[in-house]
Amino acid sequence: MNSPWKRWLPTLIVLAIFLLPLLLISPKTYITLTISGLAMGMLLFLVASGFSLIFGFLSVLNLAHGALFTWGAYIGFTSFSLINQWTGWGGSDSIFLNIIIFLLALIIAGLLVALLGIITERIVIRPVYGSHLFQIFITVGAMIVMEELIRIVWGPNDEVMPVPIKFMGSWDLFDVVVSKYPLIAIVIGLILYLTLFMILRKTKIGTIVRAGVENPEMVQVMGHNIYRYFTGVFAAGSALAAIGGGMWATFVKSIHPAMGGEVIVFALIVAIIGGLGSMTGSVVGALLVGLSYNYVAYLVPKAALGITMLLLVIILSIRPTGLFPEGT
Amino acid sequence: MMNPVQRFRLGEKEARFRSPFFFFRILLLAFFVLTPFMFRSFEVLDVVLKIIIFSALVASYDVILGYTGIVSLGHVLYFGIGSYFVGIFMGKLGWTSYGHLALAFLIAIVISGILSVLIGLFSLRIRAIFFAMVTLAFMEFTFILSSQLRSITGGDDGISFKLPGILAVDFSYGKLLGIEWTGRLMSYYLILIISVILFLLMLRFVHSPVGRVLQSIRDNEPRSIALGYRTYLFQVIASSFASCVAAVTGGCFAIWVRYVSPDSSLSVPIMLDVLLMVIVGGMGTLYGGIFGAAFLMVTRAFLPKLQIIIASLLPGVPFAIRLSERWLFYFGLLFIIIVYFFPKGIVGTAQEIFSRRKNSQD
Repeated sequence: MNSPWKRWLPTLIVLAIFLLPLLLISPKTYITLTISGLAMGMLLFLVASGFSLIFGFLSVLNLAHGALFTWGAYIGFTSFSLINQWTGWGGSDSIFLNIIIFLLALIIAGLLVALLGIITERIVIRPVYGSHLFQIFITVGAMIVMEELIRIVWGPNDEVMPVPIKFMGSWDLFDVVVSKYPLIAIVIGLILYLTLFMILRKTKIGTIVRAGVENPEMVQVMGHNIYRYFTGVFAAGSALAAIGGGMWATFVKSIHPAMGGEVIVFALIVAIIGGLGSMTGSVVGALLVGLSYNYVAYLVPKAALGITMLLLVIILSIRPTGLFPEGT
Repeated sequence: MMNPVQRFRLGEKEARFRSPFFFFRILLLAFFVLTPFMFRSFEVLDVVLKIIIFSALVASYDVILGYTGIVSLGHVLYFGIGSYFVGIFMGKLGWTSYGHLALAFLIAIVISGILSVLIGLFSLRIRAIFFAMVTLAFMEFTFILSSQLRSITGGDDGISFKLPGILAVDFSYGKLLGIEWTGRLMSYYLILIISVILFLLMLRFVHSPVGRVLQSIRDNEPRSIALGYRTYLFQVIASSFASCVAAVTGGCFAIWVRYVSPDSSLSVPIMLDVLLMVIVGGMGTLYGGIFGAAFLMVTRAFLPKLQIIIASLLPGVPFAIRLSERWLFYFGLLFIIIVYFFPKGIVGTAQEIFSRRKNSQD
């Protein structure tokens, strides 16, 4: 079944989605839309990659991922506000200080949520390895508990996410409006993707994790305590979700307790499109969803979500396991 | 010569009127029939009726989850389709007659059936776990669709509508047997009858040869494949049957509340309720749904009172009040605790204790 047509399918679909809108949209708008689409894609990648990695490696459908995302956004919000009160870097004119405070907030969010992920994995998920049914119930329970904890700690209302002052506004390049933050988001997303990719490809831990995605029993036979790696992967996935949450919150400039539930559906779609357990798949899937969503939202605003579903249906019917195989 | 299934059936038939379950069922039915005579307050009637509707909905979900062993996270989608068709026919189009009410139900059933077959066909093909994700995505999609298509669904405000003839709010037959027969009461009995019929249909379905194949798929899929069943087709059949039932329960819900909106009949929180009901009651029992629904509906009805008590006991402790307001938090904990300690739910655990005692007597 490995005809050349099938092998080039992912590339073809990416190119089609990337280039087709050029026929309908003027080039300037196209560039603006493309940048915000890429940014949305990168943010989705952060959520979907953790989800996909956890599913691929632990074989756990982690429905609490959205709640971890929300926790990331709230912790990012609080730590940003606190650091800003203390140092005032968020309002300073130096872009360097702006970036430092932003990264600090993201790192704090990532670390704390990774801790939360470890606790969740140890207490909640470990007893139900192997049973998809109970995993779904128990992660739904964990999702509700975490989301309600946010409402208890921070209150149920929306909050305005503070944004570093230099991140707002846009550059004007040859009459094309380019917002600043999407570009920053794309850069951070790319760096994280490359880091992940290098860890998975070049380090021993990465090799073990990739092997675990393929065949967990064999990894155990080789003398590695797979449960320790399970916890590690879960923590890493949670940290990715948290970083995604913090960046997403800065993107939309507001946070509310139910934000995770909305994004998790996108993450699910991205992970299925890209192929569960595949990092490259997550990137490609996320970019596809982000770009097509933005183009269609510009052309036919109400059909934006429809195109995402259509993409899912088309790809699942041509390639039921997603665009990329597990472990790539 | 009888095959094992026939022998089992015969045994079941003989024990039919002697088992305690039989009396339990009669009692339950009698309770539902007599509720309007026993309790005069509307709140109680409302809670009992919601228990009835949600028992049927949860039982239909149980057909997929407990009897077929595949997880759908978008079952409420069909419930919403049923509600919305009744709402659109009665409210938006203003076709208030019995014929149109029946037509709305019929169209909702057909559309739910087709939709679930399509979703099943392309998502059950690879792994059953895909089905969970794809159904969740579709439900979210429909939810957003229903709040965006203002001209058809009324957007977030929803549609409120009038019902024909004896179901209308202002209908009254006068007093009979000591209570007034209003449109509310007529709807109550109509929905009760429909739900009982649905329940019998589902019992018939899970005990039919198809139902047995489904249970064999749940217990050992490779073996059913080896026996020559196309498990994938059977799973699609089960999911579309359950979806049609869910559409009818959705229509009934719309008849009772006379209002549809995305939040009241198509949202993720309702799906969470259904999930909780199914695990509280017990999977693979059908009757578990009644207990699950009763548990959740009754607690929910009493929670506001509990909050008032806590607020008056601990005045000036905002954290405690906040903690008591977030009853969903405890439901989340309940999810985890039940999966830990009672993975079979109320009915499943009761059955287990019952059969253990029976075995020790033998």
